[in-house]
Amino acid sequence: MNYNKLTCEDAQVLIMGLIDGELTSEQQESLKKHIDSCSSCREQYELFSKLKEETLNMKLKPLPEMYWDEYWTHVYNKIERRAGWIFISIGLILIVSFGFYEFVKDFLMNSTQPLILRAGVSVLGIGIIITGISVLREKLMVRKKDKYRSILR
Amino acid sequence: MVINWKEQMLTDKDAILACQSGNTEAFRHLVEKYKTRAYYSALLLTKNSEDALDLSQDAFFRAFRSLNRFDTSKNFYTWFYKILRNLCINHIHRREKIVQMVHDDDGADAFDRLEHEDKNPEEIFEENERSQMLWAGLNKLKETDREIILLKEFDDMSYQEIADALGIPVGSVMSRLFYARKRLLKEVESLNEL
Repeated sequence: MNYNKLTCEDAQVLIMGLIDGELTSEQQESLKKHIDSCSSCREQYELFSKLKEETLNMKLKPLPEMYWDEYWTHVYNKIERRAGWIFISIGLILIVSFGFYEFVKDFLMNSTQPLILRAGVSVLGIGIIITGISVLREKLMVRKKDKYRSILR
Repeated sequence: MVINWKEQMLTDKDAILACQSGNTEAFRHLVEKYKTRAYYSALLLTKNSEDALDLSQDAFFRAFRSLNRFDTSKNFYTWFYKILRNLCINHIHRREKIVQMVHDDDGADAFDRLEHEDKNPEEIFEENERSQMLWAGLNKLKETDREIILLKEFDDMSYQEIADALGIPVGSVMSRLFYARKRLLKEVESLNEL
């Protein structure tokens, strides 16, 4: 953009920068010169300045004070609960792992138990794990691909 | 490090660094500083005060969760705004689908009611005929035009901040604003003629 010789098209875009206070002094000077000598761009400048003034005068409705007072508490509760869920998950993982370890040690590795029973329980466990993983994967894949998932049914 | 957010004049960077080292209370400084902007940004996007309150709080929660990945040399609010914007856009899309479902299932009455709630200017602006006309004009614009005007006029972002928030070159902001405002003027003019 040549600021020494602005076209009307360039000037009209630069008017945005002028009303928003975003122009350098060199840009401002060139634009003001152009506006002074061009009635069409002057008219545009007045229109956009008026629009800017009117939008600035639009008063957003204030939110009742009690909502602001409780605002941080709501955010904090979300943060705190997340920490709670993390601890619950870690606790559950530790308990389940310990249970599994004890089960393997006391039952599956216990030669006093009949081999057929241990084999049966192992196969049953593997079956349940495979089915669980498959259902979980399906749910996750459907959730990822289903474009209607957010519709309340 | 114990920080009293009320007594200390923290910079955003100080607060973020404190949060990154595990001080949750320092996050309050950011929430207190930006909650008004966040709420009104969400309100202008969702046009519903309850949703705006809930989504802006949720955006702060998500920002806190991702704060460890935040580059402290960047502007916090423009980064936060992207999170808020995504949440609001997802929410709007969900709501549109629900409105469409209600329209399909329950007929036009329920659809009109939900549509009216969606465009209710009294919930957003103080009563003023001109404001309501401008709001109606803004609502007729396409989302990209509407958003850039809202960021400039109501969020008071600089061109650099708008560029960062929308992920566009700073040089495009001025021209995008020009076309958006031009279309807004046209819409307001046509509403005036009615």
